[in-house]
Amino acid sequence: MRGCLALLGLWLVLLLPTAGAAKPLSYVGGMMLMQENDAGGHTVGIDYTFHPNWALAVHAQRHVPYGAPGGGNFNVIGPQINTLIKRWNLPDGQGNIFGMLGAGTAIDRGDMRGAGWAGFLADYETRRIFLSYELRLMIADKVEKSAWQRARAGWATAPVDLEKTSVWLMVQVDRRDQKHLAAHHTGNAPATEITPLLRLMYRSFLMEAGVSHRGHVMFNWVKQF
Amino acid sequence: MTAFKRLAIVLAVVCTATAAQAETIVASVNGMVCALCVIGIENSFKRLPQVQEVKVDLGTKSVTVRTKDGQTVDDARFTRTITNAGYKLVSIFRQ
Repeated sequence: MRGCLALLGLWLVLLLPTAGAAKPLSYVGGMMLMQENDAGGHTVGIDYTFHPNWALAVHAQRHVPYGAPGGGNFNVIGPQINTLIKRWNLPDGQGNIFGMLGAGTAIDRGDMRGAGWAGFLADYETRRIFLSYELRLMIADKVEKSAWQRARAGWATAPVDLEKTSVWLMVQVDRRDQKHLAAHHTGNAPATEITPLLRLMYRSFLMEAGVSHRGHVMFNWVKQF
Repeated sequence: MTAFKRLAIVLAVVCTATAAQAETIVASVNGMVCALCVIGIENSFKRLPQVQEVKVDLGTKSVTVRTKDGQTVDDARFTRTITNAGYKLVSIFRQ
């Protein structure tokens, strides 16, 4: 049973996408597949929007402790609920505040532990400018407590047009704080990481790639259905 | 053919032609800024059986919906579709 769940988690992490590169809600009846890969690990998420303010998601993440690759990797998987707390639809822009809450299982060296996580995302976007701030908190029983913050600013080289590939120049600042609860987990996150990145967007597909000032590669993608 | 029958035929043809006309609805919408916004609105309207075609223009902030012949999308349904896609309807103009 544990082996099957671990395989399922691994499959999700490797094959499905993540959260963070796009809004956690789309349109009623819409689905979104997202994936992030960076120095903190690999995250995959799929969400289904069933109400203008609510989406149900599956979240899977392979944590790779900062500064200690291979020294305490673990996986987290579980359902997540996303909610739109507030939206401002303006003539030339849109602002949002989202909340995310999830619970599931942390799989650490074959041991299954309870895990819970919560997130907060605020963003503002026009056809030329993108700004966001995100906070994610995670507790995995006897494994790890962590807080992750990300701020982003982006500028489109031309006003977004559906039939043209949109090119965005962005910079993101990550801050990760971790507390290991397992003896075999080692390494502490560097406090801050700055990553210039390029975002390309065409119709319902979005892709981002960048290299941080510490040399870590990040690659994200999103597909909306 | 009597004059009455001729009149009836003319009226029937006119009524049928009127009823069979497609409608074009142009709406001004706030909050649309990205390609995913466009895809969301397009997919939302394409799910309505009475919709033939939908076009979203980010530059003019407008959504243009053309219905199938003889069908329409009433204001309430149109507004709900925009709202469910996550945006704010400002105005509707029917042609």
